[in-house]
Amino acid sequence: MPDTHFYRYDDYDRALVAERVEQFRDQVQRRLAGELTEEQFKPLRLTNGLYLQLHAYMLRIAIPYGTLSTRQLRHLAAIARKYDRGYGHFTTRQNLQLNWIKLEQAPDAIAMLAEVDMHAIQTSGNVIRNVTADHFAGAAADEIEDPRVWCEIIRQWSTLHPEFSFLPRKFKIAITGSPNDRAAVRVHDIGLRLWANEAGEVGFEVIVGGGLGRTPMIGKTLREFLPKDELLAYLEATLRVYNRYGRRDNIYKARIKILVHEIGVEKMRAEVEAEYAATKDGALKLAPETIEAIARQFAPPPLRPKRTKVPEVEALKLENRAFALWLKSNVAPHRVPGHAIVTASLKPAGAPPGDASAAQMEGVADIADAFSQGEVRVSHEQNLVFPHVAVESLPEVYRALERLGFAEANIGKITDIIACPGLDYCALANARSIPVAQRISNHFAELSRQHDIGDLKIKISGCINACGHHHVGHIGILGVDKNGVELYQLSLGGDVDFGRTALGTILGPAVEADKVVEAVDALVATYLEARQAGERFVDTYRRIGAAPFKERVYGAV
Amino acid sequence: MAKNLSGELHVASANRLGDGLVVFLDDAGQWTTRLDRAALARDERAAEILLQRAQAEAFGVVDPFLVAVTESEDGTLEPLSLREKIRASGLTFAAIAGEAVRYA
Repeated sequence: MPDTHFYRYDDYDRALVAERVEQFRDQVQRRLAGELTEEQFKPLRLTNGLYLQLHAYMLRIAIPYGTLSTRQLRHLAAIARKYDRGYGHFTTRQNLQLNWIKLEQAPDAIAMLAEVDMHAIQTSGNVIRNVTADHFAGAAADEIEDPRVWCEIIRQWSTLHPEFSFLPRKFKIAITGSPNDRAAVRVHDIGLRLWANEAGEVGFEVIVGGGLGRTPMIGKTLREFLPKDELLAYLEATLRVYNRYGRRDNIYKARIKILVHEIGVEKMRAEVEAEYAATKDGALKLAPETIEAIARQFAPPPLRPKRTKVPEVEALKLENRAFALWLKSNVAPHRVPGHAIVTASLKPAGAPPGDASAAQMEGVADIADAFSQGEVRVSHEQNLVFPHVAVESLPEVYRALERLGFAEANIGKITDIIACPGLDYCALANARSIPVAQRISNHFAELSRQHDIGDLKIKISGCINACGHHHVGHIGILGVDKNGVELYQLSLGGDVDFGRTALGTILGPAVEADKVVEAVDALVATYLEARQAGERFVDTYRRIGAAPFKERVYGAV
Repeated sequence: MAKNLSGELHVASANRLGDGLVVFLDDAGQWTTRLDRAALARDERAAEILLQRAQAEAFGVVDPFLVAVTESEDGTLEPLSLREKIRASGLTFAAIAGEAVRYA
């Protein structure tokens, strides 16, 4: 098995996680024995990522910056098989959720996680959650710097941070190292974008107060350019201001986006900069050797440039249309010539988005070992990524993915749908998401049609908490409950691309569940009739406005 | 023809502590995974008593509460709300099996 090219736990990390496993084991035993009430136990289990959903407990496992070794992925498969129903759900925060965990066995499951340097700490609660990153990090041709180095530095700083263990509300950070934002940084509590200034120095744009949920907001720039070694001190200052002024009297107004909205970004900036001025040269100023020590662990794999035009690939492209489409949609440029980034679609026609069986996880691990330096990524769009594949190996990778059902040539297309678990699993949901995604996926399954329609992102949430990111879907679908009936509200024009980030606008009255496919069909038909050369769905929408879409949808349903 | 369109029929439900599964309180005061064995409260007063019994028997379950149901002519109980129907009957789609390499 190849060596990993990302951070490996040290003795301190291992001791901390092992200690937490034993603490949790004791807490579970006391709960089962009746020594702890549910009220006393609930915050303890949530701190360890264990939720109680509609039918069972759900364990949310942190996948730091969405990066997995094949050993870790195989272990996740084994845990799913041993302690769950043999499958898992990859989420929009690059985590894995196991939906049928037994409380009695949860300590054993997290002990097994610890064997491969993983845990579920801080995947719930009002703390800094798992830091997410561009899923092409360390491989993308357009990347300025690998953001995972900084995710790891933040992980170490924020894990069990005593000052930030009881924030007003949960706190999500995302980092991108590319001008093409694949990490949705403008819709996070803090988004960080690495960029190079005119002097060629690389630093962070710090964006604050973005978020989806009940009150969606696009983040505002707090600091245009922050030197990298000042990151932790600046984050600590920002979190400290939020912790001090963030509202605790109303859960719906407790996120940092509300604070920034209420006091304004100028006032927020003044508060943060004042706090920062007092602390910036303290213990959190990062020494160059500290940064280098972490960065060394993310050293890229030793890939040598190879042929970019491979006769076998060109031949298969001509004879196999599905492969040719797959090359167009699922294969992205790598920084090293002759290599590529491959996205395995966890959205085959009619499948629950983001779900993978234990056998499929093992199959993905086998492919990564053979063709991708033993590394797999989880994308926030609920797919799996092979970051380092030689172009000459693409036919073999494609065939191997076909056997797993993960070779659908639909990345970025209408069936590459983000969907939250919805009312089938989630205790907070008002309506189902997965069956709606399945119906749309089946309806638009034909690949040539999908590619003709072009890039079109549908995102579905089963409630206003917006785990399915519906606000930033080109077509957003929100499930609501009206007098016991599931209805679906459509919104158009959302986007997370950098420089074009936008929240969708509600189209009109919500439609019944069995009319959603018809409505999406009407939206697509309107676009196809009106589009100009090179326009995506969202471009046409921006040019012609909502009226033609509205007329067609409400005429149709 | 289902009865209880006025919402008077109720059963008591909870999640089992050890594994989280959905359970219902039966006439003998035991928690069962079978809705057809649930104790049925036919009016508001009976529902209050049922909830009190459920709370008194709450060791081994989490947060008992009342679920409004309908009763068909043959005595079959069905929750009124979609949420409770899904809790009682499970997922409304086929999840992939652990050893499956493709979603069928």
